[in-house]
Amino acid sequence: MDYFLYLTQMCGIFMILAMGLNLINGLCGQFSLGHAGFWAVGAYTGAAFSVFLDLPLPGFAVLLLACIVGFIASAIAGLIIGIPCLRLRGDYLAIATLGFGEIIRIVFMNMDSVGGPRGFTDIPKLANLFWVYLFVVLSIIFCINLIRGGYGRAIISIREDEIAAESMGIQTFKYKTLAFCIGAGMAGLAGVLFAHTTQFISPNNFTFMWSVIILLMIILGGLGSISGAIVGAVILTLLPEILRLLGPTISEWRMVIYSVLLIVLMLAKPTGIFGKQELSLPFFKKEKA
Amino acid sequence: MTTVLKTEAISMQFGGLTAVDSLSLDIQKNDLVGIIGPNGAGKTTAFNMITGHYLPTKGNVLLNGETINGVRPAVITQKGIARTFQNIRLFKDLSVLDNIRIAAHSRCEYSFIDNIFRTKKFKDSEKEIEKEAIKLLSIFKMQDYREHLAKNLPYGMQRRLEIARAMATKPSLLLLDEPAAGMNPIETIELTKLIRWIRDEFKLAILLIEHDMRLVMDVCEKIYVLDYGKTIASGTPSEIQNNPKVIEAYLGSEGVDNE
Repeated sequence: MDYFLYLTQMCGIFMILAMGLNLINGLCGQFSLGHAGFWAVGAYTGAAFSVFLDLPLPGFAVLLLACIVGFIASAIAGLIIGIPCLRLRGDYLAIATLGFGEIIRIVFMNMDSVGGPRGFTDIPKLANLFWVYLFVVLSIIFCINLIRGGYGRAIISIREDEIAAESMGIQTFKYKTLAFCIGAGMAGLAGVLFAHTTQFISPNNFTFMWSVIILLMIILGGLGSISGAIVGAVILTLLPEILRLLGPTISEWRMVIYSVLLIVLMLAKPTGIFGKQELSLPFFKKEKA
Repeated sequence: MTTVLKTEAISMQFGGLTAVDSLSLDIQKNDLVGIIGPNGAGKTTAFNMITGHYLPTKGNVLLNGETINGVRPAVITQKGIARTFQNIRLFKDLSVLDNIRIAAHSRCEYSFIDNIFRTKKFKDSEKEIEKEAIKLLSIFKMQDYREHLAKNLPYGMQRRLEIARAMATKPSLLLLDEPAAGMNPIETIELTKLIRWIRDEFKLAILLIEHDMRLVMDVCEKIYVLDYGKTIASGTPSEIQNNPKVIEAYLGSEGVDNE
């Protein structure tokens, strides 16, 4: 039972990660491959906060503070990396962010105070299903409110046509940096929750592979769609685990089946499950009209 | 009359090539000015200098008396120059209304925090922006299309939307980069009417680059002719039509007599 609880919690964490990357990649159109790096910054600062400071506060208060600290630390990391990188476009930006993501991981690898390559152990288990999904809901509300306002529209206009956006009086660099910082901050938040769920983090949790998997989640769900990011996160978190449970033969071949399923899905629906659409309840539609 | 845009002998050099050489424009309020010239004459370069995409190597650009050299394009737009593009650059996957609302964004008064928490200030300001956007769309007779995606509009209407979007930034000078490109003769005639009407309705100055001679001669009151970056003539359409230098630039010289 613990295993399922853990998986459900991981789904929530990946939802936040995917929504953060969706903001950078899907809405603002900036191709970032360094998301695992920001995830690591959040996880390490959050864990260091609750382990080293050891504040005399109840568990949930420590977790909340750790989340805030993790968010801010990652957002600052996003700012520092975003300012030089966001001058680049497309593939070049992807390569630069990939490099920075790896640098972050290597830095943690070489920091003995947080365990270095042995990993950071004995993190208190403060996160539970409630806190993870509370932050998921808050992130969803945040993203929806953002895209339904002027700031979100300005961010989306950069994805649509950066030159036109600049000519329409949108200070593109400012909004790109804003989207990048918030996206990184959300990854940091997911990192704090992750550290306090697994109780153990090591630099190998945050390899480049994970940046790609998070990217896959949002592409699979539909770039630019919040509902897509959530569905993509659930599918890609659960699929390998479900395949593992389907008996020894399938379990052995599960990574192959997983890859084939991804290829089939992308061939069948190249724009992702949701495209750019959102899953909307009649309630929301009414408000919009 | 008040001067809207003044360029003081602006030049643009790319390495050894002088793309624009000492261009001096003087555009008053309510003026309708055209820049013409053969391909490669430096018309678009001149536009890019005015809108801040290029920094002139020499000379100053003054908007309403204020020097705007080296100011970022977005800030220049906020100061009052709006433009359209030769190859239409709409926000294709967004609705017509959103296209207009994005252009109005630099005027929105609420902060990021207001946006996230949907405060009263945010809602009031959004309502105001939407009202203005719908008003602008109805002026351009596009109010029925406001929920359509920009990419699904017919070509002529996309051009019109692009102009409407530029107008949403409330400019004092509108730059049109080949507005008739790709239009059929009927659409061009409609466009001629539209450009004049915009000038009269919004009381602003319009500067346009165009290849379609009929449009330029019909609509512009003053024309500058560029050739190899140099201003070879300026004046009213009839002066330009009879200027031997212009005829030479477009059709070649009559040098045969001398041989």
